[in-house]
Order: sequence, then structure tokens, then C-alpha cells
Amino acid sequence: MNRWRQSVVEIQTRKRQVNECERAQAALSKVTACFQQMATSLGSNIDGSFLREELEETRTVAHKICSGLHRRLLTLLTEMEQGQEDKEQVERLWVIFLSSLENFQQDLKKVKALQEIFPLTQRKDRQALVNTGYAGGTSEVAARAAMVQTPWLSIDETERPDLKTHIRGIDVLLEEMLQRVNVPLWSVEPTQEADGGQEEDESLEDMMEVEVVSQNNISGCCHHHNCKVGCLLCLLS
Amino acid sequence: MTIRNVRDHGQRYRPRMACLKKVEAVVLEMQDPKTGVKSQTQRLVITTIPHAITGEDIVAWIANRFKIDAMEARAMGTMMVAFGYIYPLQDHKRLILKPDTSLYRFQTPYFWPAQQWPVEDTDYAIYLAKRNIRKKGMLELYEQEEYNNLYKWMNHKWDFIVMQAKEQYRAGKERKKPDRVVFDCQERAYWVVHRPPPGTVSAMDYGHERMVDPNLKEKKTPDYYRRIIMFIQQSIMRPRVKSSVSIGAIVKYATTCREHDPFLYPCLPSNPWLTDDITYWNLNMPNVEIPTKMRVERWTFSFGELLTDPRGRADFRLFLKKEFSGENLAFWEACEDLKWGTAATMKEKAQQIYKTFLARGAPRWINIDGKTMDVTVKGLAHPHRYVLDAAQTHIYMLMKKDSYGRYLKSPVFKETQKKAIAPEAHRFSEAQLEQNAKRRRPSLSPIILRQQEEEQKAKLAATGPVDITQLCRFTAPVPHLAVYTGICEAQSTASPGLMTLPNSAACPSPISVAIDSTPASERRFDGNGGPSSSHFPSIAEASVSEEDNQPPAPKSRMALSLSRFLRRGCNAPSVFASLSPKCGVASGGGKVQPLGVEPLAQPQPRRIANFFQIKVDIPPECRIYPIDSEDEEDDSPDTARGGVKEIICPWETVTKQDGAG
Repeated sequence: MNRWRQSVVEIQTRKRQVNECERAQAALSKVTACFQQMATSLGSNIDGSFLREELEETRTVAHKICSGLHRRLLTLLTEMEQGQEDKEQVERLWVIFLSSLENFQQDLKKVKALQEIFPLTQRKDRQALVNTGYAGGTSEVAARAAMVQTPWLSIDETERPDLKTHIRGIDVLLEEMLQRVNVPLWSVEPTQEADGGQEEDESLEDMMEVEVVSQNNISGCCHHHNCKVGCLLCLLS
Repeated sequence: MTIRNVRDHGQRYRPRMACLKKVEAVVLEMQDPKTGVKSQTQRLVITTIPHAITGEDIVAWIANRFKIDAMEARAMGTMMVAFGYIYPLQDHKRLILKPDTSLYRFQTPYFWPAQQWPVEDTDYAIYLAKRNIRKKGMLELYEQEEYNNLYKWMNHKWDFIVMQAKEQYRAGKERKKPDRVVFDCQERAYWVVHRPPPGTVSAMDYGHERMVDPNLKEKKTPDYYRRIIMFIQQSIMRPRVKSSVSIGAIVKYATTCREHDPFLYPCLPSNPWLTDDITYWNLNMPNVEIPTKMRVERWTFSFGELLTDPRGRADFRLFLKKEFSGENLAFWEACEDLKWGTAATMKEKAQQIYKTFLARGAPRWINIDGKTMDVTVKGLAHPHRYVLDAAQTHIYMLMKKDSYGRYLKSPVFKETQKKAIAPEAHRFSEAQLEQNAKRRRPSLSPIILRQQEEEQKAKLAATGPVDITQLCRFTAPVPHLAVYTGICEAQSTASPGLMTLPNSAACPSPISVAIDSTPASERRFDGNGGPSSSHFPSIAEASVSEEDNQPPAPKSRMALSLSRFLRRGCNAPSVFASLSPKCGVASGGGKVQPLGVEPLAQPQPRRIANFFQIKVDIPPECRIYPIDSEDEEDDSPDTARGGVKEIICPWETVTKQDGAG
């Protein structure tokens, strides 16, 4: 259908859908990042049933976002006509979605392997947990992930797959995505520059830097930026 | 999205990493509150972080657990640190275990090295982006380089990488301060292990990937037993040598090559793997002008050594050229080319080799016995890669038994020996070694190396294979030519072909140029002949001028065919040389120049069409076929026309063109 024939309503709907997908992708990134942060505590001394429950919930949220996003992106791509304006944008979203699915699947595999190494079914398993130096928990991270909003999160009541099924499901999804839609992956141009910009909130970093300086005065160790933790070492035992 | 060519299913196993499971077991044991390693608290300014352990405690624990001495315990501890199960809190880039009060901490299992999956570059990119976002200018030089590389080849994913880096950073900020510090340390340690800074050795070098999990036990199916039976049968069938003989050979080899072994004797000037100084490699490039003394000495060990070294082979080639038995080596090289070349060109190559070296009246005929010749010609009816193997072996043995000995006593070799250099050993200080490590750069891309090789080959072909059928016809009396063909010698003096060209004072005939083939003579020739880009037109011109001076001689197409032949011989390598590779490494910025302007102008199909027509136009007076002249009768219909003879492959059903021109 000729672009000029598309009614205003259609154009607007499409725009809304694309924006929805973008926001969903941002949400997915957030959830997977939180998932990863929590996964790093698996097998450590703060590991426990609580952590694993939180992981499960985050994973379910991620799954919901993924399936919804996948469906909507697929519709957008298949409905795309020649010379559509947002073609580049939709393709970019597609590629980002693919990459984040892959990345998430990797984390899932690691989590599965770790849960096998540290089953936590018996009391003595707790003795094997690695003393990594963590003190607090990851509840804040889980809360951050739970706060994510997507339009279809409450609407779609899809199944809650377990870990193994989830991993295999993503495998199938990836293959299908690569075969069904003919998007040339390499043609996508990134919108971010190489260094990705700066994060606004650096206050914490500044505080840590100050600690280094004060420590330097006392112990006179190296001034290297990266070595801030090493610099902060002060053996007072 | 990473392109996955192999559906892994967890099957790409890296056998050297099979030890990881065992290390993990030890690490888990170390955690036991009663029997594990004693831990203490690390104090920072604002907080304390528990679970810090000292190096000496680790060593003591390991020594106690495995009942070994302190040295071995320290080595084992270093291995655990190198693998990334324990990381140092001070001096985080050096992954060793210091048996003193330096502090370490256990790595969280998420960051443990895994056998099943390699470390992904995407994750590394995200990590570097995170560090960059946190604070600009935080990346070290090598990290910045890697980052730029990743930006280039992961360009399509970059939005995802930046987005994920930002989100991970924000997620990390949700945690409490001490935990954040711990996490940062862990992540940093992880990447020091898996992306080591330059100049360090990584324990993650895992060798080849295998398709079978070495930890699995193989099921004993009938197929398994069948394979075992086959294997044993083949072992029984193998030919055997007496152990005294084989051991004697090994001892001899070891004593001869002892000083050449870089593990046993230091290489001069220095081993690049140790000092990061590549002088040794530069001095030993394949086609360097002046070889090193050690290299020249290796050529005396065996003929095989001489041939496999490109510089040695070049020296040998020079010697053979002076002796006028270069066709042996040329044939051997052509056979190697056939064996190792692409399958598509095999048939043509085999035919060309036959025409050049084996056929009767071939321009560079080699001397092999009748039986081998029979076998070879029969095989050439259905050419395959190894069809010339018998002939090649024969020629190889010939060269080995005959020419090699003479080469070693020849002035060419003695000259090379004299000029060979023996470099002094380097003596680098610590600071210089670090400098060298920083200045490490990747070597030339293999594409460029291949182009250089092709160039070399083209140059070699261009300096002219010596066509002995034309030798006697055109050369001015050159005394050492007598070596070549006995028949010719007698006739060359009587041949009317000896003309003096009016402009020959400075212009030798094309063939003697080809023989002589030193750059000086070529240049001389070129200067006289005309365009300096290639000497092919000059040859044609010179022959033309020669023709003018010999009205009684039949119109010679020999020189032209020579030029065509040379052009043909030159074509293939030049075609390769003209392929422009998409290599990003612009080493020296040099674009590869194809050899001469002219050869490239010829398209491929025409080359093939020319193939089967070496028209050798030799007057009957100068029959120099170096074979018994039984088939002179065949030529009788041709003599009327002045002896037009075509070399055609005997397996082809080509109607012999009687008197056709």
C-alpha cells in the first residue's frame, strides 16, 4: 500500500508501537542487568533460598518482556513496507533484541551450572559456599528489576517456564528469529559513540576517590586510579 | 548477534581445562569454616570487608592438605591464582601467590573459569564500556586499544553494549558500598585473568579445541570395538625398523642439530618470544639477502633442509643455473606446486609440466629413466595430484646424490657461507624488556605474505626458464654452454645461425640474457630494447631485428613463442598478485604491484587457448632433440615446411596438423 494512502491513524499507531518496543527493550536491559548482578552472588556466602527466589522472579519478568517484545517486533517487521521511514529504527531494535537475548541466555546457562554446583538442599552444603567477602544482600537490585513497567506485563499471562525450558526456548527463539526475518545484521549503524557517554551520577566515585587520597597520605602507596581498592588496603591487624 | 557456525551443544571441549573441575573441588574445601583457610578482615577507610586471606595461610593450608613441601604448595597456589579462583588485593595485575602477608580473596563462582564456554568478547566490551562510563580515561593503553578494536568489529551491536553497560552500572550502584567494592575487585580480577595485559603469560591458553569431552567415558559399543580392531590391525601392518637403527638415527639427528635448538642453546641475537625483540625473525626471513651463519650451517645437514629453506633453495637454484641443470629443480618445484595447488588448476598444471619438462623436444627436458617416464605418461592420461610423484622422487634423488654434493663444494655456496652473518647476543635490561613488550605489534598479514611470495615466483618465472631448444640456434659462442647438450655443441659452431647483429655490441641475444639473468644484464638489455617496464617486448623486438639479418633463415616464430611462453608462465602468479585483499593491515603501506604491465592484460581464456601450441620451428640442420631420433621419420612431412613441430600431449586425440602453420 502506498505510503500516502496510509491513514494518519495507522502511522500514529505504528509510531506508538515502535516507541513501546524501545521502552520495552530498555526495560529488558534493566532486568537482565539486575539478573546478572544477582547471579554474581550465587555460590557465595550470601547465597540462599531467598536469593534464588528473587532470581526466579526476575527471570520470569524477563521472560514476559522477551516474549511480548518478540511478538511485537516480529509484527512490526513483517508489516514493514518498502521505504518505510522507521525501517532503520525497527531493524536496529531487532538487532539489539537479538544481542540482548543472547547475552541473557549466557547468564541463564551460567546460573543453571552454578545451581548444580551449589544445590543448597542440605545443611552441609552451606559450608561449601565460597567466602567472597559479600556482606549485604541483593534485595535492592531485585526491587529495581521488579519496578520495571511494560504495557503488556500485567496483561499477558503466559506460562512460567523453568530454567532448562527457558534456555531451550531462547535457543529456539534465536534460530527462528535468524531464519524468519531477513535483517542484514551488519547494516545496523549504532547511534552511540564509541565511549558511550558519561553517567551523570559520579558522586559515589568521588567519595571513593577521596578515600584514596586520604589513604595515600597515610600509607603512601601507589597513586594509580584503578588501584583504589588496593590503595585502600590498610593492614591494621 | 554472534554468528554461530557450529551448534555447540557444549561439545567444544578444551582438554587442558579439564583440570578446572579438580581445582574447584579444592577451592570448595578451602571454604570449610573448621578445616578451611583462616580468613581475616580487610580494613578500608570507611568499612571492613571480611574473608581476606593471606598468602602464607594459603600456602600452609595447601601444604598441609596434600602433604607437600612449601615450594610445591606455592606453585599450586600460583596456579589457582592464575586460573582466577583466588585474586590478589594488592598488585592485582600479577597473578602469583606471594607466600607472605599479602592479601587475597576468593572469586565468586559466577566469575570462575568454565570449561564449557569461552569468555565472550561481548562481555569484555560491556565491561570496558562500563569502566569508561564510570570515569573517562580510566582505561589503560592496551585496554583502550582492545576497546577500539571491539568497537570496530562489533559495531552493529554497539547500542546494545552501551545500553547494557549503563544498566549494569546502575544495577551495581543499588548495592551497598562494601559489596560494590568487592564486586568491582572481582570483576577486575576476572578480566585480568581472561584478557591479560601485554607482557604477561596467561593460564587460559588452552590449546586446541576438541569435539569430544575428554572427561566422558566412552561407551563400549560394537562400533567402538570395531574401531579398536582396525587400529590394531593397521599398527601390525606398519613397517618396522630395528630399534638400534632408529635410535642411532635419533642420536645422530640430536647431536647434529643440538646447537640449533632454541630450547637448548640461546638463539642469536635473542629469542623474540622471551625478549619481544624481532631481530631474529627479521634476520631469518624466507627471502633475506644475507642469511645467518646458523641457517647456512643447517643447509649442510641434509638436502631436505636445503630445499625446505627458501633462501637455501634460492642459493641452490643459482648454483644450478650456473651449471645449467636448473631444469631439475624447476621440475621438482613444479611438482610441488602441483601437489599442493588448487584442484581446479591441477589438470592444466600437469599438462604444462609435461610439455615443459617431459615431452620429447620439451624446452626444459629432464633426464629420467624410461620406466619412470612410462609410468608418468600413463598416469598423465588421468592426472591427479600425485601423478608426477615417481618422476619427482627420481629427480630429487638425482639432485641429492649429484648436484647437492657439488653445491656444497661450489664457489656459490662458499661465497654465501663467507657472507653469512653471525649476530651478537642482545643484552636487555629490565626496563628495555618492558619497552619491548609495550612495542609489540602484530606481524604481516598472511595475505600480504602470500602476495609477496607470488611476486617472487612471478619474478622468478620472468627471469626466464632456459629453453634449451633455442639455445644453440641463437647464441653467440658461449663456451660453457657446451655442458648442456652434446649434439648442439658440434653444430653450434657450424650453424649458420650465428649472426652478428648490427646493434649487438651492447645487445646480447635474448637467450643468453635469459641464461645470464643477472639484473645488470637485464637492465642493459632493457635499456637497449625499449620500454623498461618489462623485457618481453624487447625480446620480441630483438628477435625481429635478428630476423632481418638472416634472410636465409626461415621466419622464426621461436622467439615469439618464447615470449609467449614466458608470458604464459608469468600469468598465473601475476593474476594472484593483482587480487586486492581486504586486509586492514597496511604494513608499510605498500600496495602490491603486479609484475609487469603486459601480462595482466591477457585474460585467462586466451591463455588456455594458447596452451597447446608451442610451435617449435627448428631448421633441420640443428636437430637438438635430446632424445634418440627415431621419430625423425614422423617429421618428414614437416620438413618440407621447414620443420614445424608441435608438442602435443600424447593422450589427446588431436589431429596432427600436417604442415599446418
